[in-house]
Amino acid sequence: MATEPIAPETRYSLEDGLARFDTLIDQLSSAPEEDPVDADIAISVEEEPPITREPIPEQAPAAPEKSRAEQEPLTRSAARTGGDVALQVTGLLKSFGDTVAVDEIDLSVRSGTIFGIVGPNGAGKTTTLSMITGLLRPDAGEIQLAGTDVWADSSKAKRKMGILPDRLILFDRLTGRQLLHYAGLLHGLDAKTARARTADLVATIGLDEAQHRLVTDYSAGMTKKVALAAAMIHAPRLLVLDEPFESVDTVSAERIIDILNRYVAAGGTVILSSHSMDLIERICDAVAVIVDGRILATGAVADVRGDQSLEERFVDLVETSNAGEDMEWLRSFSD
Amino acid sequence: MVAVFLRLRLTQLANSLRRPPVHLLGLMVLLGYAVAGTVFALGAVDDLRVADEASVGSMITICGSLILFGFLLIPLFFGSDDPADPRACASTGLPAGRVAVGLGVSAVISVPALLLAVLAASQIAAWADHPGAAVVAVFSAVIILATGVLGARTARSIAAFWLHGRRARETVGLIVVGALLLVSPGLIGIASTDWSTRESQERLADVASVLSETPLGAPWAAPALAAGGDASGAWLLLLFGLVVLAVIWAVWRVLVGRMMVTPQRPDSAIRTTGLGWFAIMPGNPVGAVAARSLSYWMRDGRYRLALLVVPIVPILLIVPLLIAGVWWQNLALIPLPVMCLFLGWMIHNDISTDNTAIWLHLATETSGWADRIGRTVPPLFLGIPLIAIGAPLTVRLYGVPDVLPAVFGVSICLLLAGLGISSAVSARHPYPTVRPGDSPFAQPQSTASSPGQALSFFGTILVASPVLALAGLGLAVGEDWNDMALLAGLVVGVGGYVLGVGVGARAFAKRAPELLAFTLRN
Repeated sequence: MATEPIAPETRYSLEDGLARFDTLIDQLSSAPEEDPVDADIAISVEEEPPITREPIPEQAPAAPEKSRAEQEPLTRSAARTGGDVALQVTGLLKSFGDTVAVDEIDLSVRSGTIFGIVGPNGAGKTTTLSMITGLLRPDAGEIQLAGTDVWADSSKAKRKMGILPDRLILFDRLTGRQLLHYAGLLHGLDAKTARARTADLVATIGLDEAQHRLVTDYSAGMTKKVALAAAMIHAPRLLVLDEPFESVDTVSAERIIDILNRYVAAGGTVILSSHSMDLIERICDAVAVIVDGRILATGAVADVRGDQSLEERFVDLVETSNAGEDMEWLRSFSD
Repeated sequence: MVAVFLRLRLTQLANSLRRPPVHLLGLMVLLGYAVAGTVFALGAVDDLRVADEASVGSMITICGSLILFGFLLIPLFFGSDDPADPRACASTGLPAGRVAVGLGVSAVISVPALLLAVLAASQIAAWADHPGAAVVAVFSAVIILATGVLGARTARSIAAFWLHGRRARETVGLIVVGALLLVSPGLIGIASTDWSTRESQERLADVASVLSETPLGAPWAAPALAAGGDASGAWLLLLFGLVVLAVIWAVWRVLVGRMMVTPQRPDSAIRTTGLGWFAIMPGNPVGAVAARSLSYWMRDGRYRLALLVVPIVPILLIVPLLIAGVWWQNLALIPLPVMCLFLGWMIHNDISTDNTAIWLHLATETSGWADRIGRTVPPLFLGIPLIAIGAPLTVRLYGVPDVLPAVFGVSICLLLAGLGISSAVSARHPYPTVRPGDSPFAQPQSTASSPGQALSFFGTILVASPVLALAGLGLAVGEDWNDMALLAGLVVGVGGYVLGVGVGARAFAKRAPELLAFTLRN
């Protein structure tokens, strides 16, 4: 397949890529000068490194290369509690015709954490995330991203935000490398920076083989990965990822989780949705369960799940909610 | 060895009948058409025996050339499922020369070859009354059959070797549609002409004499020449036919040699090392959108189809006018402005063409200006050289140098104002279009009426109408009006571009989420 020689400047090893990616992440802490709010957070992150409930040395951001190898991927006993509130959503409302898709949702996501949104199909996860990312205009409500109103001051907010939408296509007649470069330029990077970061991201997400092929010829998982890379190219403060693990193979998922963990360790914030309770339970610090456009439970993963697994708790919540709705007439007596 | 190949071919032919009944029915229908066509041709040849030699020769040469052309052209579309692919013989260890002979000879066993053989034989019958010509016709028939069969065989392998993969198929498909669109006015002309007049007979003879000197027509024309008394000329044509056959054989032999040592690649995906247009365009949002648009104009079948239509429309306009008797020098003024109008119109639904990928422009908060201006870059890239070359050419064909400013004015105005209006309309009135990846000939998945299409087209004409009027005065009256037309064209064109892009940019900035919602419904 890859018979043509690859230009030397585009050949990177994975280790190269990860090292370069760390420098990309480091750029988070050197916040844009014109943005005092960002600078505050950056300082707070530098002064007090992410607090962990039961600190595990492997997760300290100082030695990410080693920690990656030694990290036990399947269990994580501690959750980061995070710093300031990075994303504050209040009274978010959206209806399509008579259907209320998102019914006055409030969310609060702390910086330096991974926040998971779970819910059954059609619960309003994508609608919520679309409104947070500025893709879908809310009927009411407010979204504050580190002090910036996403809908009132969208250009400032979107510079701080990287998004991976679900079910929206990419400009897939571009090659993977062109797509990343395109995203970089549109985010206002200069050509040189865009080129360098594209090369880093290509190596990090393991796209080296495919970077010169059209995105339309990619597998679903590879398309997700390149979209994720495009979301990160401008070193945003917040990543909003809608179903980032859907149709991604295990190895790639681990790679993505690793990237997200480093990103969060450096002070970034992630909000993601997923169907996989195991994944959410494993990687998220806090979680919100959305059913029928309402939040049924939210808080630290450990608090939400109690002594059950998150999956059991989730099924309980969804079923209680449905049962309650079915029997609603019984509670409104006729006389 | 050849016998083995022939047996293999016969087995394949027999096996091709072991299909579901529906396929067989389709096959029978096709075969029926082919046989009916051949019978019709036989009847026509039979009728020719009572006509005079000259017209017989003309008809045979023209029809015969068309048939041989079909034998070379049609196999190009069936390269992918070739049952006699030389590569299949690579593992047998046979030398390429023997494979070439075996496959070449066994290609005679096919239905089209059989029909061609019948036709070639029937033209011998047409010359039965002229003993000298009949002898030539026998040789002709052999050359015709060999050329057709080997030509088809070679064409099919060329298609299998070079024209595989999605992109090649798309390209070939577009070329064919283009060719059909080009040919159709000609066919209308042919159909509407009365061929019994002396004048048209002479024209037929002219066409035939030109064709007789081409590889396709030479073997068919030889007997007619002999019947007319020019025996040496006839043998010369036969010799020419033999040389052509030898060339085809050489191509076939080389092709087999190459194919047998070249591994079959899987459907090769497009690979572009480097950044393509992104390396050329400036590294800012406008340049990025421009580079992305340029890449799409080159790669996306939907844009390529639209581009193909741009030069075809003026032809479709001119041919009827020409037939209706309009002086052709007046018609020379038509193509350039029409092409400019269509180039400007091409981007009037550009956001809909992006489909939901437009989210990236929202996520990056791409400014409306960058989005709008970037999208006008590909048509400007094409339109500016087109005007620079086309305007002097138009004036040269028209024959009056004074009208050059007016031609410039009208073309520039139509292109720029058209781009401006399209930029505004595509952000304000998008309508559903074919989705990315679907065939450019497919119908949109949803249909919702929008004024966008007509608004941008007639809006451009309306805006340009003062310039058109001034140019008309320039043609009718004289020089001052021509300069006025240029001036007005520049003012209206640039003004329309700036205004349209501005309106579009504002609309895009304000309505970006609604535009995304529209593409989601699409």
